[in-house]
Amino acid sequence: MKFLARRLVRALVLLVGVSILCFGLTEFAPGSFFDEMRLNPQISPETISALRTHYGLDRPLAIRYGRWAASVVHGDFGYSLAYNAPVAPLLWARAKNTLLLTSLAMLVTWVIGLPLGVWSASSRGGLTDKVAGSVSSFLISIPEVVIAIALLALAVRSRAIPVGGMVSLNAEDLVGWQRVRDVLLHLLLPVSILVLSGVAVVERHVRASVLEVLDAPCIQAARGFGIGKTRMLFRHVLPLAANPAISLFGFSLAGLLGGSLLVEVIAGWPGLGPLILDATLARDLYIVIGAVMLCSVFMLAGNFIADVLLLACDPRIRAGEPDAA
Amino acid sequence: MPHRSKLRYLLAAVIAMNAAILLAGFIAPYDPTEQNRMLAYAPPTRVHLSDSAGLHWPFVYAQKADFDGYHEDVTQRYSVRFFAKGSGYKLLGFIPSTRHLFGVASPTQIFLFGTDAYGRDEFSRLLYGGQISLAAGLLATFITLFAATIVGTVSGYFGKWVDESLMGSAELFLSLPWFYFLVGVRAFLPLHLSPTAAFVLIICVIGLIGWARPARLVRGVVLSARNRNYVVAARGFGGSDYYLLWRHVVPEACGVLLTQAALLVPQYIAAEAVLSFFGLGISEPVPSWGNMLSALQQYNVLVSYYWLIAPALALTVTSVIYWRLADAIHHWLQSHSI
Amino acid sequence: MACSLRVQGLSRQYQTRNGWRKSTTVQAACGVSFYIPAGKTLALIGSSGSGKSTVARCVVRLERPDSGEIWLGGVEISRLGARSLRPLRSRIQMIFQDPTTSMNPRMSASAIIEEPLLIQQRGTRNERRERAASLMVEVGLSADWLDRRINEFSGGQQQRIAIARALALSPKVLVLDEALSGLDLSTQVQIIQLLKNLQAAHSLTYLLISHDLGAVAHLTDLLAVMSAGRIVEQGPTKEIIVNPQQPQTQTLVAAAEHFKKAFARAQGASA
Repeated sequence: MKFLARRLVRALVLLVGVSILCFGLTEFAPGSFFDEMRLNPQISPETISALRTHYGLDRPLAIRYGRWAASVVHGDFGYSLAYNAPVAPLLWARAKNTLLLTSLAMLVTWVIGLPLGVWSASSRGGLTDKVAGSVSSFLISIPEVVIAIALLALAVRSRAIPVGGMVSLNAEDLVGWQRVRDVLLHLLLPVSILVLSGVAVVERHVRASVLEVLDAPCIQAARGFGIGKTRMLFRHVLPLAANPAISLFGFSLAGLLGGSLLVEVIAGWPGLGPLILDATLARDLYIVIGAVMLCSVFMLAGNFIADVLLLACDPRIRAGEPDAA
Repeated sequence: MPHRSKLRYLLAAVIAMNAAILLAGFIAPYDPTEQNRMLAYAPPTRVHLSDSAGLHWPFVYAQKADFDGYHEDVTQRYSVRFFAKGSGYKLLGFIPSTRHLFGVASPTQIFLFGTDAYGRDEFSRLLYGGQISLAAGLLATFITLFAATIVGTVSGYFGKWVDESLMGSAELFLSLPWFYFLVGVRAFLPLHLSPTAAFVLIICVIGLIGWARPARLVRGVVLSARNRNYVVAARGFGGSDYYLLWRHVVPEACGVLLTQAALLVPQYIAAEAVLSFFGLGISEPVPSWGNMLSALQQYNVLVSYYWLIAPALALTVTSVIYWRLADAIHHWLQSHSI
Repeated sequence: MACSLRVQGLSRQYQTRNGWRKSTTVQAACGVSFYIPAGKTLALIGSSGSGKSTVARCVVRLERPDSGEIWLGGVEISRLGARSLRPLRSRIQMIFQDPTTSMNPRMSASAIIEEPLLIQQRGTRNERRERAASLMVEVGLSADWLDRRINEFSGGQQQRIAIARALALSPKVLVLDEALSGLDLSTQVQIIQLLKNLQAAHSLTYLLISHDLGAVAHLTDLLAVMSAGRIVEQGPTKEIIVNPQQPQTQTLVAAAEHFKKAFARAQGASA
């Protein structure tokens, strides 16, 4: 419990640190939203400075940060300059789409990767291991960009699945199950890209940790007693191998919001990715800060959940042994 | 030893690849910025090795644009010449030359990988773009590992509050979404820069954001090496901190650094490619694998002009080779230390 | 010219940190005092955690004692800074328990033996090499093995190289921190013989640290028994063994009895 409380405090401190870092960065960035406006001779300098005052951009940095931090605590993430709307609802709408995509992708990745990794490890050197090993070796070395473009090309050429957007043009006419099916079809491309990029990592990781456990003396001893393979696997090997797998799981959780920028932009999925890209190009700083903060929250939350799970699953950590975690 | 020979092959492959890219001026038949508006989106030129009479010295036909695409004009043959004279360039940046590895007599042109929207030779652009992309990866990796070594060594060796503060900021950097942060930082810096300035900026940004993880690894190595008895013994002979670090502690980190280098290079090459893809990296007219791929964002290009996917293949090949190298180094180090 | 070692009231404590909680203090050594005349040997005996290693490290100034005095020959070294300590380091050297960790496994034997000379900047390259060769011979190894890597030697040979390294700066006092504990019995006998010869040849003063009384009984003139950071009994070896006063001493003497027989047998075998 104390362990968790300390971790929580640490995470909050980190969050504050991240916000300061982001804010400071945007302050030192040359160029602002109003640069484009300044170039336009029809907008007078007075209008621009009035706008700046309106948005509070002429106050010193510390005050701006203080006001922003205070409003964040109330759930108000500031105001978007480009969209002329509050940031929070914008972020949240897009974040929901991203989460839908990434959680589905994560589910599929782990459903495939975890059993495959365990199976590979238990049939060490066998056909499954060799095939799975070379495939994942190959996949892991291909950059995500390439996988994305390749699958996009495939999808566009074959016209088998819809590409771009979350729903088809006639979305309003669809009801119930058809609607769900429509979204699922649109999810197919981005999810496949994410799964192909991520499954190799999971499989290798799980395989490595299970192999390490299989070689442990306690498992050798159990085999010496003539224990059955399935029983040994589930009751003895997996609990021991869980530790690094849970860490990886937490890492995947942490990347739920932040890991899919590229995929969303290439596949045209309306998530946080395209939003932040456009916002950074337009120097719409509150959206950028808000998005980065949201991602950081997820990352820290993901790590925290991983800590909780580790605590729950590994009695060594509960006992406070220093070298278990 | 199987590991060692595998390592040798991979190292040779890496060196060959980098050498080929370095000699882009020689190997590429054309200047990467040379446009041929009449030959936009031309498919790869077919090199014929035989004719009706049997084997023949490689030759090509001219390509003529028609209403329904490009056709070969079989009226005249043009032999492929090796060590042909072509447009001027500077080999390795300072040796002026006009000899290219291969070429054909004017007015025809040989486009091994076709042309892009402006009629520029894709093959030449691929090689020149490779210079940018590979150099970016290597330099950014160097920056990251340099920073990581210094931070990790100082943190692990001197300990206490130095360690706490450095590792605290490392954790801060690690809890940032790397890619978002990369895009954000890049975009908040001036968008329109000269190619040289943009290049330097990119490698600095990519290199400086990723220091945290390798720094932690180096720190771990330094921590365990610092307390080893032979370090204590050397202190007992009167060795200064610098001597101890240089002679006994830092060499322990070499293994970690080597593996990290082989892992980071492909990641950073891909990072530069993605940044350029989004228009945040190297911009036209300087070719880079990333900005060459951004043309593919239009679906019609993606579907009809498949040869423009060449940079993706180049990225894949580079990435695969470096990953295998990282694996081989890892295994070699493990067997070496036992 | 031999050198004596006197320790007076040595004390050292350690702070262990438990995260942000308050730290606990461990008194590793408290008021330790002993005197080793020049050319003699004193063995500091005690069970694990009695503070022996702490005393050893303080004497060699790998750590700074919190209070007390250490007289090396006529010089008091407990308060000296790094710079003033440097020239004095050559007078006292330490040999560690585990030769595999006390020497960098990537270095060759010659690099290891020459390292102290290199650090103290003594002699040219050739001179250092010659000195390393003569030291190898002195500890009973062939000079042809100078360029071999450390991990190619056996445990006993490695410890010999560690001794050679310690002798490189021509020290007057040697501190052996459980130097025999990692070796098997017959090797222990050989090393003890070597140490005896070296002591006679160079008039060395020895401070032996050990948990095993039997192993060092043949080598040492004086005995000091440590328990929980304090010296509970000290005096000439023969007197202590024949008439142990304190309970800790009695336990140690009893445990050593079995060693005596094994030692005699091993000595008979290696003779």
